[in-house]
Amino acid sequence: MEVALTTVTAAPPHSAKPPPRRQMRLPVRNALVGWSFILPNFLGFAALTLVPVLVLFYMSFTNWNIFGGSEWIGLDNFRRLLGDGSFRIAVVNTLYYSALHIPLTIACSLGLALVLNNKLRGAAFFRTAAFFPYITSIVAIAVVWNLMFSPDYGPINQVLHLVGVENPPGWLTSTTWSMPAVVIVSTWRDMGYYMILFLAGLQAVPRELHEAARVDGASTVQRFFNVTLPCLRPTTFFVTVIITISSFKIFDLILVMTDGGPGQSTLVLSQFIFRKGFEENQFGYASSAAVALFLMCIAVTAAQFLWNKKRSS
Amino acid sequence: MKRSTIATAGIAAAAALVLVGCSSGNPGGDPSEPSDTGTATSTETEGGDAEPVTISVSGWSLDTTPEFQVLADGFTANNPHVTVELKEYDAAEYNTLLTADLAAGAGPDIITQKEVKFLTTFQEGGQLLDVSDVPLPDGISGTSSYEVDGVAYAVPYRQDSWVLYYNKDLFAAAGVDEPDGSWTWDDYADAAAAVTTGLSNAGSAAKGAYLHRWQSTTQGFANAQAPGADILSGDFGHLAPFYERVLAMQDAGSQIDFNTSNANQLTYQGEFGKQNAAMLPMGTWFVATLISQQAAGEADDFAWGIAPIPQLDASTTGTDGTPVTFGDPTGFGINARVGDDKVQVAKDFLAYAASEEAASALAGIGITPALVSDAVAEIFFAVDGAPTDELSKFAYSTNEVKPENPTSNQTATVQGILGDLHTAVLSGSESIESAIAAAQQRFDNEVN
Repeated sequence: MEVALTTVTAAPPHSAKPPPRRQMRLPVRNALVGWSFILPNFLGFAALTLVPVLVLFYMSFTNWNIFGGSEWIGLDNFRRLLGDGSFRIAVVNTLYYSALHIPLTIACSLGLALVLNNKLRGAAFFRTAAFFPYITSIVAIAVVWNLMFSPDYGPINQVLHLVGVENPPGWLTSTTWSMPAVVIVSTWRDMGYYMILFLAGLQAVPRELHEAARVDGASTVQRFFNVTLPCLRPTTFFVTVIITISSFKIFDLILVMTDGGPGQSTLVLSQFIFRKGFEENQFGYASSAAVALFLMCIAVTAAQFLWNKKRSS
Repeated sequence: MKRSTIATAGIAAAAALVLVGCSSGNPGGDPSEPSDTGTATSTETEGGDAEPVTISVSGWSLDTTPEFQVLADGFTANNPHVTVELKEYDAAEYNTLLTADLAAGAGPDIITQKEVKFLTTFQEGGQLLDVSDVPLPDGISGTSSYEVDGVAYAVPYRQDSWVLYYNKDLFAAAGVDEPDGSWTWDDYADAAAAVTTGLSNAGSAAKGAYLHRWQSTTQGFANAQAPGADILSGDFGHLAPFYERVLAMQDAGSQIDFNTSNANQLTYQGEFGKQNAAMLPMGTWFVATLISQQAAGEADDFAWGIAPIPQLDASTTGTDGTPVTFGDPTGFGINARVGDDKVQVAKDFLAYAASEEAASALAGIGITPALVSDAVAEIFFAVDGAPTDELSKFAYSTNEVKPENPTSNQTATVQGILGDLHTAVLSGSESIESAIAAAQQRFDNEVN
């Protein structure tokens, strides 16, 4: 009996000790599990984005032309950029495009979202219609708008003639009007997408606030500025950041609509990079222009984040 | 809700139709007669005394560009121990894709040079073998485009040149004399105006001429014909009279203006083939296209011919002179990494591609070879639907073809600057004087 007892009591100290593997601390384990979920996506990101971007930074300090060795030339590429008239034109044009495109798109998409947020008959249809340009092929868009902008035969100038405009603009054939024309098309194309984001934001505006404001006698305009807009701020911030970045790197629409012309009137940074790299084989120089574009995007985005932080505190 | 779903579906269907409509382009670049053979050739080496060798050749749009298959078949018929493998690339991105393959060390043995301006990129990158010892027939043109410091890095097999296409029926309807080979550009402008007026009196809206939107349609002739012109010198003053003439023709209404052509995305095949214009300066590749489009009913049925391109002055006009025009060759280079066992076979392939035998085979499928002898010209014009007059044969076979793109690593940059000048001037947004001044300033700033 006694023997049996000792055996029984001797066993627990061994079995109570968990196997060493289980001793891993919980936060570490959680992190590992989390990373293993992210890993497949991260591998793709690293191979296809992160590593090429890091290589790009290195290449911007070399005179690489795709074949053979790349010689380290320090800051020569960036010095050349500063003196390059075409690069300067590309920067100015990119800023000009962004300055027109960002406010116009935000205003249009927010306006659309406000209208279509109402219990309007057929709202679902109109929402779909507004989203359509965004999913239409960019080449089709370019061809059709090119026809519409035709200075002599296009419907836009014919309407302008009808309403009494004596000298309607030459649109894509004029160095003055080509950029506004591109902005009109890109705004028309993008506003449906950002409208969806604003619509989602509007759903989150508490109804009680509107009711309270109405009871206090606030007008529709007052309610928009004092209830809707402040509640929408996270959405507006997100949309502004996304539109800013996409405006800085606008490429496809310009390539198919104007190819930078007439002259250099719509030459933007991405296209400058494309031309230097893939048409003139100056990949080192093109990389340095890409770094410049990257720095511009980072600087503006950081400024927006700081401003947003200041506003919310 | 149900109604909006149906409406959405309707819009989706309409959009799909729009997208499908916009995607039916011609991917092949210069369309020619379709090939009836497969994409690769393999010849059995029964009883041959040589070791079997396989060489690869890069090409594009093999379905619509049968020249590679024709050359491969011709070469393997003479060399049964060789297999020629065609490596297809996308036509529009040919140089980018080929560059990537070469940089990765996976390029073809024989590198087809689609555009001359990339030759220096490949050569400076050490990708091309010296092929100066490949025997070439007398009278072949385009070789200088592939020479760097006296060393040849490729051999031309195809050389299109620019000629003047004209519609004989429209000239007759307008009551204007057809081109006779004696024209200068001023004669051409006068004839375009006369044909436009004559056709308008006859109740037709067709124009005297159509000038396509490419920068080469104006600059190519200026660079080839103006004395001492050299785009690499940074002096672009010679372009002015050529642009002034084009602008005057646009203003006079004897050709469709650049902006309308651009907005409506007009094609030169449509403008000439549908008889909207009586004259068209264009490369010789259009001969085969026009013949096949007339046969297929895509183009109207009318009598046409080709004449020498108008000249700057009378010194090079007439059928006893040698008209000056421009064009770039297409050629073959050899990959510097090719194995020792393949070098000789690759050089033999280049020699064959440049030979009169290959030239005759190419002419038979409507391609203008780099070597145009009388016999080759006979074969070219023997095709059904080709013009039969003497002037067409003269225009095709007698000319001095100056390179469109000088062989230099600065050509791409300079052509980019001149391309911007072209759109600025022809759209009417800048005067030719200020555009030339701006281009020269950019040249000083960007080309070093």
